[in-house]
Amino acid sequence: MMRQPPDSARRLRWLAWASMLLVAGGTLVAGRAGAEDPAQQTRVVDQDVQDLKKQLIDLNRDLFKLEEEILYPASTQVAVFLSVNVGTFFALDSVTIKLDDKEVANYLYTEREVQALHRGGVQKLYLGNLKAGKHELVAFFTGKGPHELDYRRGATLSFEKAVGAKYVELRISDREASLQPEFVVRQWD
Amino acid sequence: MALMQTLALVAAALLGALAFPLAARSSTAVLSDNTPAPDFVLKSTDGRNLRLSEYRGDVVVLSFWASWCGSCRAALAELNSIAAGTSADRPVVLGVSLDGDAGRASSFAQSLGLKFPTLVDAHQAVGRLYDVETLPLTLLVDRDGVVRGTWAAAPAPQAELTQALQEIGQ
Repeated sequence: MMRQPPDSARRLRWLAWASMLLVAGGTLVAGRAGAEDPAQQTRVVDQDVQDLKKQLIDLNRDLFKLEEEILYPASTQVAVFLSVNVGTFFALDSVTIKLDDKEVANYLYTEREVQALHRGGVQKLYLGNLKAGKHELVAFFTGKGPHELDYRRGATLSFEKAVGAKYVELRISDREASLQPEFVVRQWD
Repeated sequence: MALMQTLALVAAALLGALAFPLAARSSTAVLSDNTPAPDFVLKSTDGRNLRLSEYRGDVVVLSFWASWCGSCRAALAELNSIAAGTSADRPVVLGVSLDGDAGRASSFAQSLGLKFPTLVDAHQAVGRLYDVETLPLTLLVDRDGVVRGTWAAAPAPQAELTQALQEIGQ
């Protein structure tokens, strides 16, 4: 009975084929460029270059996905995301993440990044590997709170890592009743 | 005897393999021209966090300095005149203080009347990223984030910097 090659090996083979096709495409573009009148040549070459660019972007995306699959297999993968919901009571400056008492991420936010989060962006703050079992995540948020005062808060989540990938979201939102920011850590099912 | 020779050869091969990354690193120094400027984010003395990659599309003059470095004063004064220019397409100037103390960096910048942001590299992490061995160190980064010129241990000569800026269309 023949053994099926692993998924990553098949993908690599596919990527190698795609690369060869790109090279062959480039050769074809060069060949065609010499055959027609200059104006048409320019249009054809331009179109072909655009096609090649698109293929290159697709190839790059596939490589990125492949790299992620190899470095962070689903069985051990843990990802932490950050989102901001309204966030008028807190101006975010930095976030530090500790996993099982070990600092794994520390991120300083620029004004532009904070604006992107306010517009609904979700940031992948950390991607790593964890063994199955019980773990603890602590996130520290620093910034300016109400009345422009320096603000530092922590949020903790104890979770059980099973065989599948684990996704955790840190969310900064407004607590209207107390006019204070709220920091929530939750798991995605 | 033959076994000893084999072991010696294996040991030499292992040492060579271990030393290779160091050798490779020195031959591809971060600071060499036409290499991408490593991205970083640092807090400035006015409290803002600034990220180098957010200046893509602008020409950036990056200068590493410290308050204890004598020739940094002249280098910063020169860059200040560039930053204070009125030309619409003048480069962005960013100073990175390796003092490790935001207060000291801020008061030094104020004493020189710097008109460009002073970033504080408190743990010298960015200094290590850029292999800063001598101060001042000035780098010219083009619109695509590629290093196009470096000047170490002395202020960048005005003429050379102006010419380099002209060459990259600034």
